[in-house]
Amino acid sequence: MDELLAVLGYKVRSSDMADVAQKLEQLEMAMGTAQDDGISHLACDTIHYNPSDLSGWVDSMLSEFTNPPDDSEYDLRAIPGVAAYPQADESDKDSSPAAVSSPSSSSSPPPPIAAAAAPSSALIAEPTRPVVLIDSQEAGVRLVHTLLACAEAVQQDNVKLADALVKHTGLLAASQTGAMRKVATYFAEALARRIYKIYPQDCLDPSYSDTLEMHFYETCPYLKFAHFTANQAILEAFATANRVHVIDFGLKQGMQWPALMQALALRPGGPPAFRLTGIGPPQPNNTDNLQQVGWKLAHLAETIGVEFEFRGFVANSLADLEPEMLDLRPADVEAVAVNSVFELHRLLGRSAGMDKVLSTIKAMKPKIVTVVEQEANHNGPVFVDRFTEALHYYSSLFDSLEGSTASQDLVMSELYLGRQICNVVACEGGDRVERHETLTQWRARMESAGFDPVHLGSNAYKQASMLLALFAGGDGYRVEENNGALMLGWHTRPLIATSAWQLAR
Amino acid sequence: MNLDENLLYEVLKHADAATLGRAACVSKQWHRTAQDERLWELICTKHWANIGCGNTQLRSVVLALGGFRRLHSQYLWPLSKPQSSSSASGSSSSAWAPFPPMIGAKPPARWGKDEVHLSLSLLSIRYYEKMNFGNRGR
Repeated sequence: MDELLAVLGYKVRSSDMADVAQKLEQLEMAMGTAQDDGISHLACDTIHYNPSDLSGWVDSMLSEFTNPPDDSEYDLRAIPGVAAYPQADESDKDSSPAAVSSPSSSSSPPPPIAAAAAPSSALIAEPTRPVVLIDSQEAGVRLVHTLLACAEAVQQDNVKLADALVKHTGLLAASQTGAMRKVATYFAEALARRIYKIYPQDCLDPSYSDTLEMHFYETCPYLKFAHFTANQAILEAFATANRVHVIDFGLKQGMQWPALMQALALRPGGPPAFRLTGIGPPQPNNTDNLQQVGWKLAHLAETIGVEFEFRGFVANSLADLEPEMLDLRPADVEAVAVNSVFELHRLLGRSAGMDKVLSTIKAMKPKIVTVVEQEANHNGPVFVDRFTEALHYYSSLFDSLEGSTASQDLVMSELYLGRQICNVVACEGGDRVERHETLTQWRARMESAGFDPVHLGSNAYKQASMLLALFAGGDGYRVEENNGALMLGWHTRPLIATSAWQLAR
Repeated sequence: MNLDENLLYEVLKHADAATLGRAACVSKQWHRTAQDERLWELICTKHWANIGCGNTQLRSVVLALGGFRRLHSQYLWPLSKPQSSSSASGSSSSAWAPFPPMIGAKPPARWGKDEVHLSLSLLSIRYYEKMNFGNRGR
């Protein structure tokens, strides 16, 4: 192995250096003479999924130039990389992990040094012997490439190509197992919906989505983590208050509040009076979900001796909320906490929605605002970037679910996530509500809106870590502290983030 | 040997959790006595950090939410076990299935504040979840 390149992560055999060096020359020439402006992006925006396979990458670039996409019929050879068209095989197996599981992707062209790569699943520019390899790892890489190529085609409005590719992903997905297969299937379905314009109805029965969320709650620790860490911040903010008021931006089944009420009940000196305002979407059939949840929580409160008051608010969007509706009491009488678990990102689709809600929050004069959001940027303007980011994110998420044991819960949890995938990929405009953004982005937004961060203490961190240890699902979960916020992730990938805020002085 | 229940109770007050569990298997009378919440309250509170509230306050809340025996077996005990293989019983339908107590285990170390708070929270969540299944009059 060439040592210099090994340090950079490129597995190179000295004996192959000459060969790939020649290919690089060819590539440079091809890029120099290319007439089509549309491929100039390849020079800077290429995503290099398998850095150790330089030879393969160069070959794929070459094949892109020598086989231009033919519009009159879908030409699978047009797909860059190992994608759809099976290539002749060589003796060495592909030893690199599937691109999806590696969170990093370097976006720089290969170093100009004459380099050669380990002859892994070698790609030859012209397909000579069409031998189909049933190597599931390689098929996994192809699957990812096909999905990405399809997203690219969709972005370019190349319906014929996108159509062919999306059908091909079905074939490739069948060769996979476990999380990879499920994720690919959901993404392929979402792409198909986008291509054929069969948009999913977002306004499905909210009680159905609540049911799915309950299964997700049971199967994996994300929601529990969200509740526990937010509650800890709220408890600390409420430490000395005699009357407290929590405004929950998404009450759903109210699963966050029993633990808070129990902690308040056991407060030294006795519990404060606890008021809860729960906000929820309109329900079909006139069923009053909010009131039912309120009743259950009231019963619990009575059982443990906490003075309790509940109010439910039906709203299509949080932006419809006005502070006057909430019967707010003076700040010295009642301490207010505003809680939002996976709700704020929905406002980013409407232009003034977010600003309105943030100023409404400020008008509530809260002692603390707790925000839990997905740690990913699924709201970028470029479709392919969104798609790629979502593919990585949901792959990690599905991976973490694989360890859980309950099969029915698992299926429902996957459905729950699948609907999010569908929304991120297939919907646009006001329909696209799953506009996730990263903690960094939320921080910037909250700070410019006039909020100061509140550090989540070590109690929250310790309880979160213990919670994960109890979870039978898997060893891969990690709690991370990030400048006072807490993140829960799977292996190296953070997936959700809890942060707390107060009004800036 | 037919021990008077009161005497049995006094004796069991000094037992640890594992012994108490085994005692419950001896006979119907022993089972009844060993399940006494007061005994399990002792087991729990003897070894945990002071969380600041009074005993009466604690007792009324915990008994209302399912009792000390459940608190111990479902939440405190699993938290005191060393976190070895987390791939637990494949047959359990819930990710929260309690780990089976090990025979001959040493008595648990002291439970810190975080363990206690976490266990109490989980107990309250479970109580609330059970309310979901139509037990409106519970």
